[in-house]
Amino acid sequence: MSVDLDRTPRNLLLCERSSLLDQKNRLSAQVQQLHFGYKVSVLLPECSSAPSHLDSVLNSFSSFYLIRKLPIYELLDSDFLQKAVYPGGVYGLSYRTRIDEDNCVALMPNVVSVDLTDSSMATGGRGYMRLLTGLKSRLRLQTDFLLSHHPGGGACLQPLLSRYDWSEHTPEVSHCHLTHLSCPAPRSCDPHGLLEWLGAVDADVSREDPSSSFLSSLTCPDPKTRLGGALRVSVCGLLLPPDVQRLIQELRRYLEQPLLESWVSLTVHGFVDSPVSWGDGKHGVLRGGDNFYNLLLFQDHTYQLHLATGAHDTCPP
Amino acid sequence: MHAVDQKEESVFQRVVLKNASPFHYMKVHLVLENETTRLTAVELKHFIISGLKTLHGEVGAALNVDVLKYDDDTLTALLRVSSRGLVKLWSSLTLLGSYQNQACAFRVLQVSPFLLALSGNSRELQLD
Repeated sequence: MSVDLDRTPRNLLLCERSSLLDQKNRLSAQVQQLHFGYKVSVLLPECSSAPSHLDSVLNSFSSFYLIRKLPIYELLDSDFLQKAVYPGGVYGLSYRTRIDEDNCVALMPNVVSVDLTDSSMATGGRGYMRLLTGLKSRLRLQTDFLLSHHPGGGACLQPLLSRYDWSEHTPEVSHCHLTHLSCPAPRSCDPHGLLEWLGAVDADVSREDPSSSFLSSLTCPDPKTRLGGALRVSVCGLLLPPDVQRLIQELRRYLEQPLLESWVSLTVHGFVDSPVSWGDGKHGVLRGGDNFYNLLLFQDHTYQLHLATGAHDTCPP
Repeated sequence: MHAVDQKEESVFQRVVLKNASPFHYMKVHLVLENETTRLTAVELKHFIISGLKTLHGEVGAALNVDVLKYDDDTLTALLRVSSRGLVKLWSSLTLLGSYQNQACAFRVLQVSPFLLALSGNSRELQLD
């Protein structure tokens, strides 16, 4: 009995260290694996305002569309397949569906259980017709749907959008200036301590307040340094991997200049209710549902990558 | 060693940590029968400790639960507990049914072994 009470849902933390100068580094492929980003958070230590090139990238994440009550069989529309899906770059996810309660749908270049690019699913084929009939008559799935296309310009999505109630949205950007914070040594800090510190900064958790020692014993991991301040920038919406790749390139460019602190942090949160997490891997939520990664970039072109996943997910790539 | 050789010897390291997080974090929301009732952070922690004591006795009450953040307007809190104490804490919160003679319930909004995960919950996305 006591052993069961001590048990927690399985969770994995994958920690990778490498150099961006190493041609074999897999960072780009790993970033591409998290198809549906919800929030990107950047922490720039000892920075009061982001340089213009960085600000420009943060404010130019692809816009996305919300389609109300989209029947799922519309994603099999031959015109939509030909003009949008087959050329690639279309991402879609059901909106306000909870994976532990509702049906959830994701549209990727390689759909989890229905590969629209497979020859058996060609328009008019037996597999295609069977699925279309099923979605139209037997299982009339309908959901609010988020849809995006990269590179930008939703021209190929317009025929589908025009048939339903839709709205366009741009990712929301917010800035926060932080002052007087203790910071652990990013290279030597243990991964869980580092992620806890980053989480405390991201969630505005105050630390080391002696008057509240009854409430919390949270402290900054040792060894620590004192930062005069930091800038935290967050972007929220349906965020695509190509935009995250561009942001990483600009962060590398930011690190090329002389800085008081030689590192930056980037955290990307996936959608909790996405049916896929890393690549085509299944994702689920019951008592967890972690689906994020944190990237620490250093001035010497090395990086630390931490990918977190929960009990119902496969190990990240 | 020659400087160019040092650069070419890139250090690649990959480690997979399974169930290695020492803590679990919970985002909880206290719903009270009288919606105007307010608690301070200290009162909330006392309430949680009382729940642990009721269900798990003195051993449960000795469990270290940190209230990392508390919003007294929305009665929403971020809690930290050792991973071995998660089940005890969660079960205590589930069975806490009354506060000062009024019905109440703890809604567990999010649980994770990573505090960082609690600051990016896509269920909060509002596009209406």
